[in-house]
Amino acid sequence: MLRNAAIIGCGQTKHSGRRRDVNQAELVSEAVHNALEDAQVSLKEVNALVVGNMQGFGGVANPDLWIGDWIGAPGKPVLRIATGGTTGGSVGQGGFYSVMSGLYDIVVATAWEKHSDSKEAGATTGLLHVALANFFHAFGYGLSMKNLLATSAVGAAAGVAAYQARFYMHRSGCRSEHFDMVAAKARRNAARNKYAHLQWPNCTPEDIHKTELIVDPFRYGHVCPASDGASAIVIACEDIALKKCKRPAWVKGLASYSDEETQMQSESGGGVGVLDPSEQMGARLSAMKAYQQAGIKDPKQEIDVAEIYQPFPSQELLFSEKLGLFDEGKAWIAMEKGETEINGRMPCDPSGGVNATNAIGSSALQRILEAGLQVMGKAEDHQVPKKVRNAVAHGWGGVTNYITVTVLGETPAPRR
Amino acid sequence: MQRRVAIVGYAQSEYQFNVPRTREDQVFDVVKAALRHAGILREEVDSVVTASSDFLDGRTISNVFLSMAVGAYQKDESKVEEDGTGALLYGLMRILAGTHDVVTIEAHTLASTINPHQILFYSLDPLFDRQVGLMNDIAAAAIQARMYMKKYSVPEEAVAMVSVKNLANAALNPLTHRKMPDLTVEEVLNSKLYYEPIRELMIPPITDGVCALILASEEKAREITDRPVWIEGVGTYQDSYLRDRDLTRFESLGKAAAKAYEMAGIKDPYREINVFEVSEKFAHEELMIYEALGLAREGHGQSLIEKGLTNREGEIPVNPSGGALSADPICATGLTRVIEAARQIRGDAGGCQIPYVERALAHGQFGICAQKNTVFILGGDQ
Repeated sequence: MLRNAAIIGCGQTKHSGRRRDVNQAELVSEAVHNALEDAQVSLKEVNALVVGNMQGFGGVANPDLWIGDWIGAPGKPVLRIATGGTTGGSVGQGGFYSVMSGLYDIVVATAWEKHSDSKEAGATTGLLHVALANFFHAFGYGLSMKNLLATSAVGAAAGVAAYQARFYMHRSGCRSEHFDMVAAKARRNAARNKYAHLQWPNCTPEDIHKTELIVDPFRYGHVCPASDGASAIVIACEDIALKKCKRPAWVKGLASYSDEETQMQSESGGGVGVLDPSEQMGARLSAMKAYQQAGIKDPKQEIDVAEIYQPFPSQELLFSEKLGLFDEGKAWIAMEKGETEINGRMPCDPSGGVNATNAIGSSALQRILEAGLQVMGKAEDHQVPKKVRNAVAHGWGGVTNYITVTVLGETPAPRR
Repeated sequence: MQRRVAIVGYAQSEYQFNVPRTREDQVFDVVKAALRHAGILREEVDSVVTASSDFLDGRTISNVFLSMAVGAYQKDESKVEEDGTGALLYGLMRILAGTHDVVTIEAHTLASTINPHQILFYSLDPLFDRQVGLMNDIAAAAIQARMYMKKYSVPEEAVAMVSVKNLANAALNPLTHRKMPDLTVEEVLNSKLYYEPIRELMIPPITDGVCALILASEEKAREITDRPVWIEGVGTYQDSYLRDRDLTRFESLGKAAAKAYEMAGIKDPYREINVFEVSEKFAHEELMIYEALGLAREGHGQSLIEKGLTNREGEIPVNPSGGALSADPICATGLTRVIEAARQIRGDAGGCQIPYVERALAHGQFGICAQKNTVFILGGDQ
């Protein structure tokens, strides 16, 4: 890196299943406003914005053009990034690169989702209309319905995750009961996070186990909610960060590698090389690159807290291994010992994570934001009770093949 | 800029209507051609940034099946929505940050699979404009054209002359698909009326297209090629949504151009830039673009076209490739302009070549009435 960048302010909205009190634009402005207030930066000082969501869920194409007016975008550069589940992670990284490039000094990165909008009749017809047009176009050159259905099944995350979980269980020896433990921990942690969606103080694995089975091995209690919410971070260059913020969260390493798409065939029928979606080459490569940039040699010792993108509980376990926080197949044993609790040796998702709050476009940015809060010591009730030198934030999306990994720390990355 | 960055290779597909092949196939061919043009292997690329749109591609996560096709397998990658110049800017930022050295930029839209004007309708304010249903991008452009023409007494003929110039230029570009070498102003004004005063030949055709380029840091660029095309300046800005802005001028484009000129050290764009490649999504927009780029005073864009100054043989040729009016693969349109400008600088533009090009400007835009504008200044190795 030629120039350092740091998070100097974080803002998010209260998350819930239906935020009927605001529309999509007002939701985003709530988060941006909170972030600017936290950073003590005025809108005038902001040089550029990086924004994103998964437009299909909000039903508005190119939402930045309309929402821009609510977040002070007119007269400023706006870059919209969207990469599915990792959108937030990609937006955050876009913000970091914007400052690191030297083109801008203060950048706001914001991501959001208003899932309840797509429950409204007609909201998603935009995307459906195009999807159907695509189908008919493809029929025109003789593509089979089988291939097309495969490509259109991408949205079905639960199916993919169940398949992935089975592979992980087979290799590691962990059982469905361990997923109960992860989900219960997420609910309990969320109860300490005032912005989280599914809050359940004193939730026990037995509570989760009582819920009905949805898709083996997942129960209803294992699955993330669909939330309305937004998050925003203010990123600044070194001299501004030092001036404006007592304890900024420096970005030390960032990477977003993809693996070959798993299971689902593409239109051309390619991309089925990866049979085991729990292998996650993309996650391993991203972590390796990010740690290398951050000068981290042993993540087990040097990372103090992890924010992992875990819409399904199996993913907290398997991704914590891919991020090098535990040995392959051993994360569930560490969890049994309580190491991943807020007061444990390696706290995972002290905020409750995606399992408790999932406004998809925003979810991966929220991981960066929460990791930032831990470094800055501003996580309030869910602050881990130890010194945080380095925190890792993870995002997952695509057809289980897109990953973003960001390492934040109390000091800037070592110069190369 | 913290580092110098150059374009070292590029490729475009032929721009056509309804190409009967999958998206992956088309993207793969073009990216492979760009790598071959740069003379490098996929292994030498550090990062890939693409531009496409979930709505225009008709699927959530529009890049989800393109990782292999763009050569991003096990590479640091990302996707920018909207115009390809945004992807180029993001790729540039990745190199400037010092974390990457060689980046592939790709942009595409297969607009024939859908009605792209319908998609722009979905990007209207969902609470009012979309519910009322009176507005769409062509209607908005018609309002803009009327306001502009009335304010500065611009005759319809001047607007039609833009179409005549660009579609005649397109005849020299083998890649475009609307070529009309013998078009006259009368024919433009007699073409089908969409929304007064916008006519069929003032709107781009519906186009399928893919383009890609390879970006490299100075050290790498010197290794890869003897003829790098340097990025000397960049500016990008967004305007307010429809209601809160003066539609008779492109304020954000003016700011973007001023920023790019400042970075490139340009004081007089009229004399210091040799060729302009701009994204005119409607014919009248090109006149407004002249003004925003500082080539004419406000309201005087018409005199440039009337005097023939922006023709191929003129003092400041604009869109010798045919511009967006000859082919508009939406997300790829801006990146196509960058590639055409780079071709001019390298002297590789074939029939479209303008003599003695040292510096070129490329412009990309997105949104209704060009709400978002990006300007790149490219230069050769002086």
